[in-house]
Amino acid sequence: MEKKNGQIRIGFYICHCGSNIASMVDVAKVSEYAASLPNVVVSKDYKYMCSDPGQEMIINDIKENNLTRVVVAACSPFLHENTFRNATFQGGLNQFYFQMVNTREHNAWVHLEAMATTEKALDLVRAAIYRVAEHKPLERKKVPIHPDVLVLGGGIAGIHSALTLANAGKKVYLVEREPTIGGHMAMFDKTFPTLDCAACILTPKMSAVKNHPNIVLWTYAEIVGLDGFVGSYKAKIKHKPRYIIEELCVGCNDCIEACVYKEARFLDEFNQGLSKRKPVYMPFPQATPQIVLIDPETCIHFKSAKCSQTCVTSCERNAVDLQQQPRFEEIEVGTVIVATGFKPVDARKVPYYGYGNFPGVYTALEVERLINASGPTQGEVVLRDGSHPKTIGIVHCVGSRDKHTNQWCSRVCCLYSVKLAHLLKEHTGADIYNFYIDMRTPGKMMEEFYNRIAEEGMKFIRGRVADIYPDRDDPQRKRLIVKAEDTLIQEIIKIPVDMVVLSTGLEPREDAQEVRRMLNITCSTEGFYIERHPKLAPVNTFTDGIFLAGCCQGPKDIPDTVAQAGAAAAEVLALIDKGYIEIEPNTAYINEEECSGCKSCVPLCPYTAISYIEEKKKAFINEALCKGCGTCVAACPSGSIIQNLFEDEEIFSEIEGILNFRNIQREMSYA
Amino acid sequence: MIADIESLRGVTLETLYDTPEGRLIKSCIQCGTCAGSCPHGEYMEYPPRRIIKMMQLGLLDKVFDSDSMLKCVNCYACMSKCPREIHLTEVLLQLIKEQTIMRLPVVPQELQKALENSYRYGNPMGESGRKRINWMQNLDVPVRILSQNSQPVDVLWFVESYPSYHPRGQDTARAIAKIFNRLNVDFAILGNEEKSAGECGMLSWESGLAESLVDYNMAIFTKYKFNQLVTSDPHALDAFLYRYKMFGFKAKVTHVIPFLWQYFDKLKPMLINKLHYSVTYHDSCCLGRHNGYYEEPREILKAIPGIKITEMVHNRSNSICCGGGGGGMWLDTYFKSQNIERLSDNRIKEAIETGADVLAVACPYEMPRFEDALKVAGYDGKMVVKDITELILESMED
Repeated sequence: MEKKNGQIRIGFYICHCGSNIASMVDVAKVSEYAASLPNVVVSKDYKYMCSDPGQEMIINDIKENNLTRVVVAACSPFLHENTFRNATFQGGLNQFYFQMVNTREHNAWVHLEAMATTEKALDLVRAAIYRVAEHKPLERKKVPIHPDVLVLGGGIAGIHSALTLANAGKKVYLVEREPTIGGHMAMFDKTFPTLDCAACILTPKMSAVKNHPNIVLWTYAEIVGLDGFVGSYKAKIKHKPRYIIEELCVGCNDCIEACVYKEARFLDEFNQGLSKRKPVYMPFPQATPQIVLIDPETCIHFKSAKCSQTCVTSCERNAVDLQQQPRFEEIEVGTVIVATGFKPVDARKVPYYGYGNFPGVYTALEVERLINASGPTQGEVVLRDGSHPKTIGIVHCVGSRDKHTNQWCSRVCCLYSVKLAHLLKEHTGADIYNFYIDMRTPGKMMEEFYNRIAEEGMKFIRGRVADIYPDRDDPQRKRLIVKAEDTLIQEIIKIPVDMVVLSTGLEPREDAQEVRRMLNITCSTEGFYIERHPKLAPVNTFTDGIFLAGCCQGPKDIPDTVAQAGAAAAEVLALIDKGYIEIEPNTAYINEEECSGCKSCVPLCPYTAISYIEEKKKAFINEALCKGCGTCVAACPSGSIIQNLFEDEEIFSEIEGILNFRNIQREMSYA
Repeated sequence: MIADIESLRGVTLETLYDTPEGRLIKSCIQCGTCAGSCPHGEYMEYPPRRIIKMMQLGLLDKVFDSDSMLKCVNCYACMSKCPREIHLTEVLLQLIKEQTIMRLPVVPQELQKALENSYRYGNPMGESGRKRINWMQNLDVPVRILSQNSQPVDVLWFVESYPSYHPRGQDTARAIAKIFNRLNVDFAILGNEEKSAGECGMLSWESGLAESLVDYNMAIFTKYKFNQLVTSDPHALDAFLYRYKMFGFKAKVTHVIPFLWQYFDKLKPMLINKLHYSVTYHDSCCLGRHNGYYEEPREILKAIPGIKITEMVHNRSNSICCGGGGGGMWLDTYFKSQNIERLSDNRIKEAIETGADVLAVACPYEMPRFEDALKVAGYDGKMVVKDITELILESMED
């Protein structure tokens, strides 16, 4: 690295980050070392570089020492690159005359030996100082943002986001996969901790969505593709055939009445299979929109084409269309809120709890329907064999906190189990046992709720259920034994019960990975979508313009879901109302003189940003679409693609810096 | 769910915490699933959950002074359900057991005898090593003995002690020999050179005894050339798969049932006799829970014409132990003295409830245990215990 005769004047700063970095890296040593490197004019260490005084220091140093470049060694660029770019800018320099060294996440936090971390810091700092000398001034470009919003999922999260945005005057497309909005919340009976009825608080919001002039509600529809970038997304929506012309159906249910099946014979999805429906059906009485659908899996017409089609003839409005095909539609939006929800764990995954095997074993969601006044039994708790339970065991943590299923705590089960205990007691007067590992009731009024239900006389047994099997002492073998160790009294107990309720946990939807890939967002190994930062950007994703709300991000209760949905809507509003998006300048461009027009870059671009211009016989990169991934740069055989902020000289200098370790005087002594 | 056994050689309770296994143990959430799953849990003062807590608090001495671990039958039930996947049976409980046995004022006589016999005679019954091939008398198919003909062989069949000596075990051994012949398996046995694999020594953690048997058998194995080891005892399978490895054993090893499963296409057309049995199958702990062979034995049974399979309430991973593992085979008297119901007596009730007339098994310990339990239940004659290989042979033979 040559000295640049004073043209390049670098200011270097290393942050202690409290003790995060300073406890592992000898920051004074690093600062001293940086001062010895070519072109470095100022070299300092400071407790918190991101603080106001830290930033002021950079701004003043630039002015007083005529600095032309700034390097800060601190945390991840993800956290504070913008902070320091701003300081650089405020000092009067182009903000891209800045380079950041991550000596926290990449160094202090991941190593155990202070000696080695300091040496690593020296290498990383040297690389950045060599590199920054080659930086060029760059400008951020502004692009306009499309004001329309796409909300995926019509559960309580999607409903709340959509209404918030629509009330603020934004046009919202709410796309729901199922034939009705409402999600899981619509299936619940009462909600903890207030015990207000889910339908009472949800259905007004459902009809508000339906009637809102700013909301386009598409049910029985799915997103099948998303292209573009923040401010300018193109979403492809598939309308699945419900064999009903939606515009014509008024939900009179005449067709259901007229169906050739006189009796309902097929398992009703909404009631968790506890009741029956016909092939043409309304998902549930408050379904929104009030439009029936036909299930081709069970409809005679679709199975044999030998149906007298009484549904068609019965409809005065001619709304039944058995020839309906899937329909695709493309919409333009600027932002997307993902509110695709969760799936309850399949209770069969814990085979020794006997779900699907012993009729007395129910899932919590089934019980929600069973105690619901509009459920399959009008709220009467009748078991599959027609009897009424006198003793009930509620099994917590089914499919949660278990490496065989899901390792996480599903967060809501303790509370909904306590709630179901109360409701079941109210409905049946039964003796109720809750088998739990730990009672987890955080949140406002939640512990109080737990306390209140405990006072009603529930029995709490601290022990995870190990086995459930028919009671040999019951001649009919209907009664079940729930076996567990009560770890508090240190005894193995076997409780005979008439009904077992499995409090199944929450897990990502089965197609969470496909949706993630389609939307180009990230998800953790378990499949929940990852927020950009757990504290500071909890509803953002790593993809600009795409936000998260509700259980697709992780298990949460209704209050938290609604709060998050509101936050996602606010983030969207902040973007839309600003009116434009600034895009990072680290995009690639073609050096047209060198480009041979070989087209090898065109299919490689994951963002379809490269096109081939026939007249010029050259490739062209759309700056607005380019994400700066560098694939084309590396692939270009003639080296004629250049990426801002990653130009050859910059990279080579950085490599030279990393490799030039011989210059370090290794005389460090650490006691 | 299998621990990295090779890395555990020489690990003691003192050094366990520093291993990956130890870190798993630290993650215990004290949920009690282990204690609730344990078929003897209600008789243990210190079920696995309490052992872990005592270990964390440095109070293990109290555990060693109780006989709780004597009641562990190594059935892997606790381990298979543990939500933290702690390798209880494979690692922790064995180390605890070793200490327990060492400190017992008096080792229960039956167990003491079985361990002594294994050491002196190479089989727990105390039979002469020379009688190990007596099961072959009256056998009308050839069985090669390697000491007489040491040509390389594909399958080294490790017969093990119960099939060699126990009268019903011998029936199984003869059935296997005949099936192997029909399938043209190139096989041979060690004959009188074979000694017990030592699994029960290990799992009751008489490690000195276990190691002497391991050394002995390993030395014999090096004398001959074979492609794979097939054993008729799931307990021996466990010994070879998880314990011999610590001592450098590398050969491919399997049990007769999964081995026959590999020959299924050839075997199936040979199953010609219709057997009008209603069969319920008892999953052996070692074959099922520990090695995951749940469907192979059932598929083979289903291939036998006429057989109808009914399942017990507890089946597959939730099967209940016959009580023979971990030294339990020789603790019946001891358990009786403590008024503990024999596990085989409990298990047979479930079998009887299925209404089946055959209880099919795949482990030689189960045959005598369940036959005895049927007598206790007053049900012998109405239900019979048969090894799967016996049923196969019945369907094959003219």
